[in-house]
Amino acid sequence: MSAEIEITGLGKVFGQGAAAFRALSDINLSIGTGEFFTLLGPSGCGKTTLLRVIAGFEAPSMGSLKINGDEVAAKGPNARPVNTVFQNYALFPHMSVAQNIGFGLKMLGKPRAEIDATVAEMLRLVRMEPMAERKPSEISGGQQQRVALARALAPRPRVLLLDEPLSALDLKLRKEMQSELKRLQGETGITFVFVTHDQEEALTMSDRIAVMSAGRILQCGTPHDIYHAPSDRFVADFIGDTNFLTVPVAALDAQGATVTLPGGAQAPARLPEGMRPVTGEEVTAVIRPEQATLAEPGAGDMDGVVETSTFFGTDTHIHLKLADGQGFVLRRQNTADLAAPDPGSTLGIALGAGTLRILKD
Amino acid sequence: MARSYDVRRLPGFGAIAVLTFILLYLPILVLVVFSFNAGPSQSEWDGFSLQWYVAAFGNQQVQDVSIRSLWLATVAAGIATALAVPAALATTRVSRFPGQTMIYALINQPLMVPEIVTGIALLIVVAWVKVNSGYSGMAYLVLAHTAFCIPFAYLPIRARLETLDPTLETAAADLYANPWQAFRYITLPLLVPGIAAGFMLGFVISLDTVVITEFVKSAGQDTLPTYMLGQLRRVITPEMNAIATLFLALSLLFVTAFFLITRKRG
Repeated sequence: MSAEIEITGLGKVFGQGAAAFRALSDINLSIGTGEFFTLLGPSGCGKTTLLRVIAGFEAPSMGSLKINGDEVAAKGPNARPVNTVFQNYALFPHMSVAQNIGFGLKMLGKPRAEIDATVAEMLRLVRMEPMAERKPSEISGGQQQRVALARALAPRPRVLLLDEPLSALDLKLRKEMQSELKRLQGETGITFVFVTHDQEEALTMSDRIAVMSAGRILQCGTPHDIYHAPSDRFVADFIGDTNFLTVPVAALDAQGATVTLPGGAQAPARLPEGMRPVTGEEVTAVIRPEQATLAEPGAGDMDGVVETSTFFGTDTHIHLKLADGQGFVLRRQNTADLAAPDPGSTLGIALGAGTLRILKD
Repeated sequence: MARSYDVRRLPGFGAIAVLTFILLYLPILVLVVFSFNAGPSQSEWDGFSLQWYVAAFGNQQVQDVSIRSLWLATVAAGIATALAVPAALATTRVSRFPGQTMIYALINQPLMVPEIVTGIALLIVVAWVKVNSGYSGMAYLVLAHTAFCIPFAYLPIRARLETLDPTLETAAADLYANPWQAFRYITLPLLVPGIAAGFMLGFVISLDTVVITEFVKSAGQDTLPTYMLGQLRRVITPEMNAIATLFLALSLLFVTAFFLITRKRG
């Protein structure tokens, strides 16, 4: 996989002197051709700023940005082989759907016949043929979304940038557009850089995800890696639900560590690379709520007293209090018509093999 | 039980409203009615007639000053609008710069300076230039009217620009438009209602202004309002009512068009 986008040492500072705000710091990223790459993070983490820097709407304060091998940091947005789908779509209200889609090609000076052919192809690709002559105000939000996609894809950019394009749609339409986006990417083979704050969206759609916070990339990897091997507390907390347990280290060996769980039992825990705690040191261990199962009291790795439980249909979230007072959430699959556990009752908790993981704080 | 506050329930609201409308429109109504008077009086009704309209249309002087007024309003409002577009762009489409508020105030200066002061200032400067250059053509009136029209053309254009999503221009740049193309294909077409409104407002203001024209004009450069003012110093016949009524109709036409254009926002 060759690199489509190569970002090295990139930073962005807004303002000057005392009012300066560091929106991006030390961004290093390599995005492969044809990859579906997601920038994920809470609002204000810098993901949209990074997208705007790639698009050329903001100039980076430092560092290098290469697209297909060309240094483009100093070039304007109209000189980059990159197109954007904007959060509010930004369709031109005075132009028809077809004129919107053809705009980029017209600006590139393509001949009329070629523009018409590409517009027809794009209309077919996003299934909007009957709407070609409508104005943006005369079509629905979901249709506007498709037109915005078609308009950005029509000039055949090397990279398509998508700035939270699904956030304005209702849940059902959002699910539809998610698979639509995957289909479009498969059919066009264009590199997609997708910005979202929705971790579920990121996990289901991406080839790789970069998790951002406070202008930095904390972790970059496949959805599987990000979910199962979060690099730090922020990533573990932001992606999915996580139990954080403060536990002392009982022993260390070549494979990892053994920790003492609340209640006294010992369990193996994986260590992150480069971390060597000492015996007796308190560390943070994490485990996902679905990686533990219920057992008879005393039969699991630790016991907990049921506080509340919440029914979600496919599963039930059971909130327990451990022996030392720490909370623990367990997600029980409702594989049968199971009753909710009685509050106050004691249950055993069995941790899945190899699921407990120590984190750097 | 406390009723919600409603200004219409205040004592005397109805009476004040009616009185206000009478004060505003009764004199105009009287003027219009007597333009159709068969007799030469402004106070005694002698029956319906269009004779004063016939007289007004047949009056060579009225024709001359009307054409001059329309020509002047078109040229002045046109130039003012052409200048107001870049002014509005420069005060809304760039990041804030020092002195921006000052520039905004300077552009709108004619709205705040008393017209008579502007008139006297222009009189002094124009007289000096006339004496030194020997030129006494229409350029002085065009320049004076243009300057006076700029804020009226500027305000609706700026208002329209402020409602335009700047992301549209960003999107155009993203789709390979250079700055000129982004302006030509996106900003300008979307700005048309504001430009039309600005032109019409400027046109009506130019058509209407008396003080500035009076101070700047050379001999034989009367506009319709200054001509009417001159006539009023002599005998007042209903011919003047007829001219005023036509003038009113023209202004109403433009104000209505302005209203319709600014209301219909895409």
